[in-house]
Amino acid sequence: MSTNFHEDPVYREEFIIGYLRRRLSADLAEQWESHYLACDDCFEEIRATELLIRGLGEPMVERRRVNDVTVLRFAQSTQLLASSLELNELSNVIRVQNDTKVLIDLSRVSRIDSTGLGVLMNCYCHAVKNAGALKLLNADAPVRRVLSVTKIDSVLQMFEDEATAIASFGLPQA
Amino acid sequence: MNFSGEDLEKLRPKVRLKVCYDVGFFCPDVDDIVQEALMRFMVAARDEKIHNQAAMGAFLNGICRNVVSEYRRRNMRDEPMPEVVPEPPGKSIPEAELFELRDAIAQGMEQLSERDRRVLRAFYLEEKSKDEILKQTGMTDENFRVVLCRAKERFRAIYLERTQHPGNSRHSGI
Repeated sequence: MSTNFHEDPVYREEFIIGYLRRRLSADLAEQWESHYLACDDCFEEIRATELLIRGLGEPMVERRRVNDVTVLRFAQSTQLLASSLELNELSNVIRVQNDTKVLIDLSRVSRIDSTGLGVLMNCYCHAVKNAGALKLLNADAPVRRVLSVTKIDSVLQMFEDEATAIASFGLPQA
Repeated sequence: MNFSGEDLEKLRPKVRLKVCYDVGFFCPDVDDIVQEALMRFMVAARDEKIHNQAAMGAFLNGICRNVVSEYRRRNMRDEPMPEVVPEPPGKSIPEAELFELRDAIAQGMEQLSERDRRVLRAFYLEEKSKDEILKQTGMTDENFRVVLCRAKERFRAIYLERTQHPGNSRHSGI
């Protein structure tokens, strides 16, 4: 059986994914190996796919604990819009981990829309219902403006400095 | 058929991937197996045993398979039967190299639009078929191919940049 891996990039990509995930039959894996051992182009494609998968698999929200406060920060520059994958992850991180004292670092957020605000408020309600709090850190001017216009800044406290923000949650519970 | 030292170094990462696929990425003897396979291949080339250049990949693949089989037989003879450990998905790039590439990967991810990331996550991580993605997103086949090729091109450039400047990497595995 002979397959032209160069004919269709989507087909080749499916082959690469199958190979990396060990889903190819022994025959197909052998066929693919015999091909990439002699083909620089396809080998580079395997490497590129692996880097891409790695990038896609990286968490979009970084989470760390300072005392009993959970500090969340977006791994990359982002916009919290209806279509943002980060919004979903942010909500999941807070709900699944059941964090109640949460500080969200918005330094990498350049824009926010009503859906983004809605998610922030949902997270805030979740924290408050569980006797906690949700506060914001380092919001950029455009984000700050939206928070101010919508009066959300009167509900969600905002800070410029992480140490001050963490101190504002009070002493860690024993 | 003559192979220069440069040709050999081009083959090394490919053979390494093939060997890792067979013996596992964490096998401590990967480099020895790769070296043995390359040596046998060079000897065969020098003795003009590779008659069909088009089948060079299959020939090298066969050598790799033999060396791996011998390695396994030797191990089974010398040591008690190893505990069967589930094999993780195949990887072509060592974890340490991926760690060093994390900034470049993050940069590559930042260049992707929200829609592109959503589509790529569906394809690579959720392993949805092209048809499913087209149905869900309403994209055309052509758009999908553009998204895929554009992303692959970026990540291929990241990989090539790294290999063309090996001084950036302390290891030779990549």
